[in-house]
Amino acid sequence: MLFNSLHFLVFFPAVVGLYFGLPPRWRELLLLLASYYFYMSWRAAYALLLLATTLLDYYSGYRMSQLPSKRARRPYLYLSLASNLGTLFIFKYFNFFRAAAGQLASGLHLPAAALPAFGLLLPVGVSFYTFQSVGYIIDVYQGRLEAERNFGRFALFVAFFPQLVAGPIERGGHMLPQFRRTHELDYARVVSGLRLMAWGLFKKVVVADRLALLANPVFNNPRQHPEGPLLVLAALAFTFQIYGDFSGYTDLARGAARVLGFDFNLNFRQPYLSASVPEFWRRWHISLSSWFRDYLYIPLGGSRVGPARAYGNLLAVFLISGLWHGANWTFLAWGGLHGLYLVISTWARPGRERLAQLIGLAAHPRLRRGLGMMVTFILVAYAWIFFRANTLSDAVFITEHLLSGWSSLTGRQLGILLLDFSQHYRPELALAAFSVFTMLLVEYLGRHRSPQAWVAAQPFAVRWSGYVGLTLLILYLGIFNSTSFIYFQF
Amino acid sequence: MDKSAVSRLLGRLLLLASAVLVGALALGPVVLKGRVDAFYGRFISPPAGSLILGTSRAAQGIQPAVLTAQLGQTWAGPLLNYAFTLTHSPYGPAYLRSIQRKLRPDVTNGLFIVAVDPWSLSLAGPEGHFPETNSFIGQLQQVSQKPNLDYLIRYQTKPLYRLLLDYATAAERLHPDGWLEVNIGTDSAQVRARTARKVQDYRRLAATHHLSAGRLAALRQTIRFLRRHGRVYLVRLPMGAPLFQLEQAYQPDFNLLMRETAATLAVPYLDYSTQPYATTDGNHLERAASRAFSQQLAADLQRL
Repeated sequence: MLFNSLHFLVFFPAVVGLYFGLPPRWRELLLLLASYYFYMSWRAAYALLLLATTLLDYYSGYRMSQLPSKRARRPYLYLSLASNLGTLFIFKYFNFFRAAAGQLASGLHLPAAALPAFGLLLPVGVSFYTFQSVGYIIDVYQGRLEAERNFGRFALFVAFFPQLVAGPIERGGHMLPQFRRTHELDYARVVSGLRLMAWGLFKKVVVADRLALLANPVFNNPRQHPEGPLLVLAALAFTFQIYGDFSGYTDLARGAARVLGFDFNLNFRQPYLSASVPEFWRRWHISLSSWFRDYLYIPLGGSRVGPARAYGNLLAVFLISGLWHGANWTFLAWGGLHGLYLVISTWARPGRERLAQLIGLAAHPRLRRGLGMMVTFILVAYAWIFFRANTLSDAVFITEHLLSGWSSLTGRQLGILLLDFSQHYRPELALAAFSVFTMLLVEYLGRHRSPQAWVAAQPFAVRWSGYVGLTLLILYLGIFNSTSFIYFQF
Repeated sequence: MDKSAVSRLLGRLLLLASAVLVGALALGPVVLKGRVDAFYGRFISPPAGSLILGTSRAAQGIQPAVLTAQLGQTWAGPLLNYAFTLTHSPYGPAYLRSIQRKLRPDVTNGLFIVAVDPWSLSLAGPEGHFPETNSFIGQLQQVSQKPNLDYLIRYQTKPLYRLLLDYATAAERLHPDGWLEVNIGTDSAQVRARTARKVQDYRRLAATHHLSAGRLAALRQTIRFLRRHGRVYLVRLPMGAPLFQLEQAYQPDFNLLMRETAATLAVPYLDYSTQPYATTDGNHLERAASRAFSQQLAADLQRL
């Protein structure tokens, strides 16, 4: 069930109505049943997999809470890690590593092991709920979190429908206390949640899905579009598409949770306004990057080790992060590229400072930040090419042709391409530009003051005219026939 | 539960819903007149007594109103242009089922114009797998329902503003009788540019497609089915010279094949492929040409 579907339009109000209408003791059960129903609307059988890993994690956590030492708790940690990461490996990575091993064996002229391919579909959201469960188990193992005794509540923590399939990846310490509280219907909170949902829907169906019309034909067949200007246009379109898509989904998830009385952590903080790649990763998909920081990077030694080891840690974390997104060389390359950006950024920091002093840029912090934002944006947008390309060879082809054809930028090629696009989707190009501009403007204005707070402070007539306007914009400009959210595949 | 909060919330949401509903009323004429897209109108018209079949070439190229005006109502009405596009309505089991749903079962004196070209009988993949099965042609059970909510919910793909814009500009207008009127620029430079693109598209098709035994069998089956309900005419529509040359290169014996098929099934075959009618893109007849061609077709049908 997609957040932008008719199915959800019926499901969500029904759940909200029942939730606040039922006595508090039944509400957790209702949310759990609703969450499983939500999940089963994709493929009912996979709910069994979710239930099985939930049972194992609950058992491991419960057993660990009864044991005093880490040493005694360790077997249960391993049990849980094996079940979660094993599930992830089998469903998501087995075929990839099998194919990679086959290619390697063939390259080395070795006989390849005749392992059969795994033909099952990837369970939707498996990477998200697995990481959330793993985070919980590690927290319990480390003694940072009390294990949850109530199985229903724990199952709800894993399967809570607003964040089940694409995050944000929440922590037990943040969510479990919220499940224990009784939430009463709070008018201001519900309105604030609905506002966030409407904004998320705008970003998804007006911005992201419109940009997909431009990006998809090029990325799905780059060899038919070898013109640099068009490739750059498609890369830019995807850069904003993925932001609109994923941050839109997150707003929908956070808004839905807020209506029900729950708070999710912020997942995006104007990432394209970052002045460096490390800053970008503090602003993009914050729940995942902080997960990797807390459960992988720091345990590996983080930056407390020697420079070479620290750089190695960074690279390893980003390669794994790339692989987390998908079992494909393109994601691995995307992760590796970001790892490389971070290594170079960290290594070159003193040199950059010296250079800034030397040329006087240090005296103009706003100009320096602006330049940093521009360079960071270009680096990030370039890396998205690897993320979006269907194959590594497509990504390489696009890279090779990015700079070609610029001499005829105003000439026939681009004219035909844009004409072709605008003939098929007449005002879509202008609408795409307008919608990206609107999204960025709101993000920009929201740097210092939350747009939510600004809207809430307006008089009734302004506020509600805005709501009607936004709803009509979504209704009339929205593209409702697209496929699911990009991050659902992970 | 705070009842005042609930009533306040419901009141405001009702207000919002009412305002949005008023805003959405602008779509009323579009939906009621069936001007949602290039297909919807054909699924809200009553079951037909006579049909024009084929792909977009026939959808734009044959005007039922002209045929009716010239031939008189000598066959079971209404005559509906039930041709869609190459993606949706190449001959195959899905299109045949859709035709069977659209045709009134009691008709015995219908007029059926079956437009053919090499592309509507071609297939890209292996035999037996017809991609249009998953489109509305294969999936839509109710093809004569007004409003057709199933179609609107599942297959209306345009953003809603486009419905209004298209309605207002009338660049593309589906008439109640199924004729798709397309009003786009027809100056020679525009037509040349569109033709060049179209030829490029069809070259790609020629490189990836093959004449399909499955589609040919479905065409024969369609003709046999229609013959039980009236007179069937197999027709090859006019097109621009570059596309005709491409079709000749792709399937040089196509006319021969159609003549044999028509002879086997005892139906006439009318070939207009080389007749000089103006097109908008080398493939589709322009509006005036479509009218002239429909008049010629009517005259030829009268003679037969």
